Amino acid sequence: MEHSRQTEFTSNDGKDTRDTTLVVNGHFDGVVKKPSAALQSPATESGSHRSAASVSESWKEEHARSVEDNEVSLPSLAAAYTTILRGLGEDPHRQGLAKTPWRAATAMQFFTKGYQETIIDVLNDAIFDEDHDEMVIVKDIDVFSMCEHHLVPIIGKVHIGYLPNKRVLGLSKLARIVEIYSRRLQVQERLTKQIAVAITEALHPTGVGVIMEATHMCMVMRGVQKMNSKTITSTMLGVFREDPKTRDEFLTLLSSQPATYNDWQNNSIIFQSMAEDHSSDGCCQTR
Amino acid sequence: MRFGLDDDDDDAREELPALKARTCRTWKHDTRQARQRSIIGGSISIIMNGHCNGKASDVAVEQFHSSNAFPELSVKKAAHRNLQEGSRKEEEDQCRLPSMEAAYASILRELGEDVDRHGLLRTPLRAAKAMQFFTKGYHETVDDVLNDAIFDEGHDEMVIVKDIDMFSLCEHHLVPFFGKVHIGYIPNKKVVGLSKLARIVEIYSRRLQVQERLTKQIAVGLSEALKPRGVAVVIEAAHMCMVMRGVQKMNSRTVTSSMLGAYRDDPKTREEFLSLTQN
Repeated sequence: MEHSRQTEFTSNDGKDTRDTTLVVNGHFDGVVKKPSAALQSPATESGSHRSAASVSESWKEEHARSVEDNEVSLPSLAAAYTTILRGLGEDPHRQGLAKTPWRAATAMQFFTKGYQETIIDVLNDAIFDEDHDEMVIVKDIDVFSMCEHHLVPIIGKVHIGYLPNKRVLGLSKLARIVEIYSRRLQVQERLTKQIAVAITEALHPTGVGVIMEATHMCMVMRGVQKMNSKTITSTMLGVFREDPKTRDEFLTLLSSQPATYNDWQNNSIIFQSMAEDHSSDGCCQTR
Repeated sequence: MRFGLDDDDDDAREELPALKARTCRTWKHDTRQARQRSIIGGSISIIMNGHCNGKASDVAVEQFHSSNAFPELSVKKAAHRNLQEGSRKEEEDQCRLPSMEAAYASILRELGEDVDRHGLLRTPLRAAKAMQFFTKGYHETVDDVLNDAIFDEGHDEMVIVKDIDMFSLCEHHLVPFFGKVHIGYIPNKKVVGLSKLARIVEIYSRRLQVQERLTKQIAVGLSEALKPRGVAVVIEAAHMCMVMRGVQKMNSRTVTSSMLGAYRDDPKTREEFLSLTQN
């Protein structure tokens, strides 16, 4: 099965001059390849875009794990988990653990379901010509990933901002791009860069900024055991990289506290009581 | 003492139906089973994590627990517990590492990843060691950890240690759940070193757990060791199996509690504990 999967991967590499290397999660065993002609686009700033593409692979050439692959690998995944349970000294047949290998295998497949999806499917042509060229930010996107070194969760938030170049993206598609890349075995630096590069290649905007702050359970639950530590990584492409003022605007807007749904509910009660207090005053104060 | 079923251990397999019949929420004891087990020589699965049959050997303690609506709780004396509750030794950890490493390597392969890429080269070993760390509670028993840190103080007011960070593994999905534990007890002239409360939490939480059972084990472990007037344990945790997958509710928290002795009988005591820990 492994061998056939490998040949599947290599057959996709027709348009490249590469040899048989596995394209998984943007890696080539450390080989930095030159970008092919398909990646370059005249609309974007060539400098930053080219450097980004040369470090991580284009999502156009990734191969997806299929749903059938999942079903086929489930029994061996479950067997592996049974071995692990036994290795830990537990009794795999006790009531609480009887179906755990299957549940854990399905859970792990869910945590790596980013391998099943491709950006092209997810974008769903939700790219619109809007003639908008002001910053668009979607922040506080909850992100859950798996540390590729310890297979332990990474939990955090992603903030994405971009300056459209006449084309905007459906807002949920930003979160879906995050989902595709985060539901994999990841390293936070690579995850941040992949999100930024994917948006760049889909939209060719004037600039993209992605900031991720996350807690790594491998640092909290084990090892150095620092409960409150957070890791922050960022990727700035295009005008976000070149123009400090744009970057400043992005960072300032991130740190402001606009109302969430809960805030709105609470505030409406407060504003009402404030209005009642004010009505008894003779003055008119604005806050 | 070995535990964990060997594939070639037929005696152990005969015991299985009996073991299966016992759910983790019934605390019935069966002395006949216990005797059989000692005859077989301890190579069968010594029940981990509180699914054990113990002997109610100390009448006074049993009465204490009966009066707390725990009539079927089997209470083991320290010596019995050391014999019967198997503890996983460090040497066993080392010998089991290769098979766990191989299991993790096969998991990575089945997920479609390239096991030979640079970032994943030593991941099976690291993941196996991490998993052993997350279940290191099987190494220890309460008596090891208490270290005789029990002092006669003549104190009989409530003692609370709150906001103890707890990290455990869901036994159903092998995914972490974490949160805070608040422990309160009313000493019966004997107080325990404060860090020992946190160590008791560590022993029971570093296992494959269910939050309800974890709460109860902490409470029972403390009450057996100290024999206080009452013990209260409240755990509030977030379960990644609910947050990262499945129903995917980010902000959900699960709260469980276990009240023994005076906390169960007297609502005012319980209220005092709850108000002191909620602030």
